[in-house]
Amino acid sequence: MLTLYHWEPNANSGKPMLALAEKGVPYESHYLDLLSFDQHSPQYLQVNPEGTIPALVHGERVLTESTPMMEYIDSEFDGPALRPGSALERWRMRWWMRYFDAYFAPSLSMIGWSVFVGPAVRQRDPQELRAAIERIPLESRRIAWRKAMFNEFTPAELEESRRRVVFAIDVLEKHLTAYRWIAGDSYSLGDINGFNLGYALPLSQPERCNDTRTPRIMEWLRKIYERPAARATWAKARTQMGERVKLLERR
Amino acid sequence: MLELYHWEPNTYFLKPLIALHEKRAAFTGRWFDPTAFEQFAPGWPGNTESALQLEREGPILVHDGAIISNSFFMLEYLNDALPGINLCPGGAFEQYRQRAWGQVLTAVGTGVTELGCAKYLAPVLRGIEPATLTARLQSIQPLERRQAWAAVAGGTLDEAALAGVRARLKGPIKRIESALAATPWLAGAEYSIADIDAFSLLNGLPALAPDVLNRDETPRTLEFLERVRERPAVKAALALSRTGRPEEAFVPGAEGSRWG
Repeated sequence: MLTLYHWEPNANSGKPMLALAEKGVPYESHYLDLLSFDQHSPQYLQVNPEGTIPALVHGERVLTESTPMMEYIDSEFDGPALRPGSALERWRMRWWMRYFDAYFAPSLSMIGWSVFVGPAVRQRDPQELRAAIERIPLESRRIAWRKAMFNEFTPAELEESRRRVVFAIDVLEKHLTAYRWIAGDSYSLGDINGFNLGYALPLSQPERCNDTRTPRIMEWLRKIYERPAARATWAKARTQMGERVKLLERR
Repeated sequence: MLELYHWEPNTYFLKPLIALHEKRAAFTGRWFDPTAFEQFAPGWPGNTESALQLEREGPILVHDGAIISNSFFMLEYLNDALPGINLCPGGAFEQYRQRAWGQVLTAVGTGVTELGCAKYLAPVLRGIEPATLTARLQSIQPLERRQAWAAVAGGTLDEAALAGVRARLKGPIKRIESALAATPWLAGAEYSIADIDAFSLLNGLPALAPDVLNRDETPRTLEFLERVRERPAVKAALALSRTGRPEEAFVPGAEGSRWG
């Protein structure tokens, strides 16, 4: 029995969704609405006491770290290999997943939370929001939600995030000039990770990520979006968020 | 041809030294002093990944021309590429747990290097003539790596900030203590890269933060450190120290969360 607790095909939730689709592994899907704080409900905290998504439950096993979770999926199930055959390329895949997770994603998501998540929840009753924050188990997530809900990101923080996003886009373009896929010659978990982070870049950073300035990133995103597994995964979107991927349709 | 560019056997630099000895691999050690900025010398081995240095300062492995950086993924690479003892034992779930520890321990590396730099590196940098130090730091790329050095040189972590660092370390240390109550090693029944990672980052912590790691609150973690320290490969790695005090060797480490 395999169950995935997830939100939209986006960021951390989208990583195991796309990996499972690529392997052709069926699973029971539990959709949690991040903006309704489903991930902090008592029922879900019984699955993952830290209240983060996604979570993968495979029999007695519970997995809550999305990037190592993808390696588990690739090891445990039949289907096409999603990690390269050489030790060097596997190292490169892991290094780039860490670059996405630790450098690129936190900056991009800070901007996303300030312009999207914060405004989406802010019109609710402030007392209700404060109570919702109190239910969050991890202090680091309480701080993140408080900043998003009450617009507490400083201009300097946001400016630094914008600087890092621009820098990382250029680093990625250069990398994809040297290599066809993130790890090298073959499509891998590194591309799945990067796509979940970057599929909406042409929309959110149109001046920085476009056919003229970053043709390699654009082609890489389109090639991934054309994969049947990506089509099937983004078809599971329930909100307007998933619509953003359609910008990658070739004209 | 296997070469490891490393400093004193502590934190990030210690991890591959332990793994290479566990594997009984023949390698050429290239000892360097990052506090003398030798890693910025012309001709230093580098590629895109090592230049971005998510760990700010750390070891570089050169294997048949391939340049490998990031100490945790270097452990996975060494296990993948070299024969000998399997340092990633077990099935898919055990390996998931090893990798998940790698993520949790990143925050430990951040806190430990912040405490270690404030205590041991800041006085070294204060001993350098200010104009010379400023000129030296200005050439460091990328910006975050330069800022990490400048923060230590400028003494931006005051006592209150250091108390905050120690407080933030308590969460992951508690997880380690709990895990060691259930299994002898961090990721399960067998010694793995998770244990090498944890030992390397924690070896200097009892002296730096006795309020975080002590006999009363974290007896299992201290016993774990002693148990790892007794391994012949670990003894051999620590014996490579040139100062005799490897647990005092610190340079800037991985950045903490920017979300607060």
